[in-house]
Amino acid sequence: MTEKILARASGRDFVQPGDEIEARPDFVISYDFPGYTDVFFREAREEFGVERVDTPERFVLFIDHMVPAATPKEEELHKGTRSWGAEQGVPVHERRGIGHQVSAELGYATPGAFVVHFDGHVSQLGAFGTYAFGARKGVLEAYVSPTLALAVPPTVKIIITGALRPGVMARDVFHHLVRVMGPSSCAFRAVELAGPVIDAMEIEGRQTICGQAMFLGANTMLVAPDARTLAYTKGRAKLDLAPVYPDEDAVYERVVTVDVSDLEPIIVIPPSPANTRNLQDHLGIEVHSGYLGSCASGRLEDLRIAAEVLRGRQVKAGFQLHVVPTSQAIMAQAAREGLIETLVEAGAFVSSPSCDYCYGRIATMADGQRAVSTGTLNTPGRMGSVDSEIYICNAAVVAASAIEGRIADPRSYLPGDTA
Amino acid sequence: MKLPNLRGRVAWVFDEDDYDIDRIVGVRNIKITDVKELAALAMADRDPNFASSVRRGDLLIGGRNFGYGHPHYPAMRAMRHLGIAGVVAESFAPGFFRGEISMGFPLITCPGILANVQRGDELEVDYSTDRVRCINHGTSLPTLPLSSAERRTLEAGGLIPYLKHRLGRSTGVAP
Repeated sequence: MTEKILARASGRDFVQPGDEIEARPDFVISYDFPGYTDVFFREAREEFGVERVDTPERFVLFIDHMVPAATPKEEELHKGTRSWGAEQGVPVHERRGIGHQVSAELGYATPGAFVVHFDGHVSQLGAFGTYAFGARKGVLEAYVSPTLALAVPPTVKIIITGALRPGVMARDVFHHLVRVMGPSSCAFRAVELAGPVIDAMEIEGRQTICGQAMFLGANTMLVAPDARTLAYTKGRAKLDLAPVYPDEDAVYERVVTVDVSDLEPIIVIPPSPANTRNLQDHLGIEVHSGYLGSCASGRLEDLRIAAEVLRGRQVKAGFQLHVVPTSQAIMAQAAREGLIETLVEAGAFVSSPSCDYCYGRIATMADGQRAVSTGTLNTPGRMGSVDSEIYICNAAVVAASAIEGRIADPRSYLPGDTA
Repeated sequence: MKLPNLRGRVAWVFDEDDYDIDRIVGVRNIKITDVKELAALAMADRDPNFASSVRRGDLLIGGRNFGYGHPHYPAMRAMRHLGIAGVVAESFAPGFFRGEISMGFPLITCPGILANVQRGDELEVDYSTDRVRCINHGTSLPTLPLSSAERRTLEAGGLIPYLKHRLGRSTGVAP
């Protein structure tokens, strides 16, 4: 799939791993962040004399970090972003949710498209069969040139077999892959994700897994479009592109099959996303806050299971449970389903979408505090003091831990399960 | 222009795999923009004399998957300010690799390096032979070659001069 997408984007009949190409991104996505977008805007003009980006409709900006602004300086950054967008004819979407999710909702996740961002979590557009990767500050190239130089990566195919047990979610599947394959197992590779578990999985779960590709070392991760994908992208896709599928005889550098029939909920212990463990072995650790949200999790399936765990129950006194739906569209749907009501009545603090909880800009932890989190990363200091700790887990585990004030197994709170 | 070889002492060995480079200045400090302040913080909690011990041209050694996590830029800005000329590691996380090469900062992938050097050793990175030589021990290890775009980016001194050249807005930077 990767080779077909990159061949089209580079105007070639075919490419193979290792080929160095210049590919034209179908979309260049960014969120505003100091040192990134403000610098790109300035450098494009001052260093390259680019007054107007090439084909501005390929560009899109999100304001999802520092929302709402807490200092005049932050709001100045947003002002600069809005005015750059207006002057360039580039849409700026703010307060609609986390850009990686809103990109999908708005149709930038067009199957078969080639997308760049500076942030690697854009790989979650791969859930729609889009090749999307984070070029870090290298994305400047896309602001000043129609193309971007890259080497075609080899592809590793991961086939997930079996069926997920109750209380085991996409989040667990991803961190299990890191455990069995290794955190650099797919370094500089594209990953193609397939198999019965992925076929049976909702789009949301695929977004969760693809968005974390960087923690396997991968450049990006893709799932071949299926009926579910096409139903989602129909009427949304920004480009009229033929979806791309892997050939029957596609060549992979490696094919790895991972069976998840026996997978239990996991917990990723500090200080690194490389540390996947069984939840079972870490139950009972006292935790002070919980974060359910982020571009990785915080979608309807996460809110639904959290509401199921918390329905008719109460968050432990003194425990801070932050629930942040990934987008406004998700939040509105959660409200229609009564999930927000359930969560609020249980004592959750429900916030409008924002990236800010994930990196400790708000809900900041003090020394000695500990969180359970569906955020992206558990590096010490990520969510506050460097002497605080982050345990990454699925949404149900966050909800169950909020009830008990310690790391808890959600399965005892889920109906129809005896675990 | 040929990429000049690097020669310097090993200023630090990061022997952990999957090392999150935000820890170099401390995650609490990654929003600091003043490079002098960042430089003073580099590795300070591990060795208060680190900043003063670095000589211009010194190198860092990393383990496997160096730069894992969300590799923000302040750590290597601090290191460059102190005089660090590059990082030689068993392997790099791709995001870190792409980001720092675009800053014009040499990263050298050299499987086996960790077992072969210690802090203080003198190393030479030889781009003409794609090898790293350890002067003290007389040993030498092969490195993984850069792609041609990566090589040209380093030769130009970073992404901006490289792109200027490629886009025909040369400012006198050789190809």
